[in-house]
Amino acid sequence: MIEPSLMFGTELLFTVIAVIFCFLIYFKTKESYELTRHEGINYFRNAFLFLGFSYVLRFLWGIMMISRTTFEFIMPREMFAFLFILPLGYFSTISIFYLIHGSVWKNSDDKKFLILSHGIAILLSVISFITRSPLILLCLQCALLCIVLLLNFAKPHKKTKISQIKVLYILIAALWLINLLVIDQMRPLPLEISILFQITSLAVFAVIYHKILKWVK
Amino acid sequence: MNKKRDKLEVIFDILKTINSHHNSIKPTPLLRQSNLSSSNFTEYYNELLSKDLIKEIKDNKGKKYVTLTDKGFRYLEKYKLILGLIHEFEL
Repeated sequence: MIEPSLMFGTELLFTVIAVIFCFLIYFKTKESYELTRHEGINYFRNAFLFLGFSYVLRFLWGIMMISRTTFEFIMPREMFAFLFILPLGYFSTISIFYLIHGSVWKNSDDKKFLILSHGIAILLSVISFITRSPLILLCLQCALLCIVLLLNFAKPHKKTKISQIKVLYILIAALWLINLLVIDQMRPLPLEISILFQITSLAVFAVIYHKILKWVK
Repeated sequence: MNKKRDKLEVIFDILKTINSHHNSIKPTPLLRQSNLSSSNFTEYYNELLSKDLIKEIKDNKGKKYVTLTDKGFRYLEKYKLILGLIHEFEL
């Protein structure tokens, strides 16, 4: 049996550091965006803003789950599912879309892509709300990520080289999905493995933040 | 180079031209030195005014001059860093 306070402590620490990284990335790139109004920078920083919100909501959802199984109080699940799952589904999906859009906006129809992104994000959050399950959200986002990766890299006539930064983007999305899985009520992964994924996530955020610091002196 | 990247460069060139004229130049010579068509220049000029990167001032004789704002100077100062950020993150 995992000590609840240990579980709570690691989740809290991970969330605080992850959210700080996300918001630091957002605020550090503020001046670059304000000076240029560059669409790519806009999508990039919004991706991290929404990812930060998603991690906060993920933590709150996790607390609700822990409260059902380990603490002495039980929160009314239906009420909180409404409060958390809808924005969690929307923010996390749109952050993944913004991350993708930041790299492909020059070659795509901006408005159509954005409308489609928001539409899919709303659809996914509504589906996960109706089913009351972040696992459904996880599966849908996983499918979405696979489709995007296939569309991006499966171009038969082009030699597509995956750059280091694209790998980091994929890692951010993949680790988000794993961290969402970890927080589920059934806790499918042992705490040690969860912590390992959390450390990896923080390392990815740290690498991105370090790269940003080079350009925002 | 893509279209949007060019836009940042064009803005940089216009601001650099103003700065190289002791931060005061008339709109017509600025148009000539910007290597843009008149319609394109007007578009950029209005955009720079609306983004508060440049401002218009008038001398005692009522002649119009263009100068950089603080934000314009910051753009010049940060331009290479911003380009670096865009390249680094493939934005």
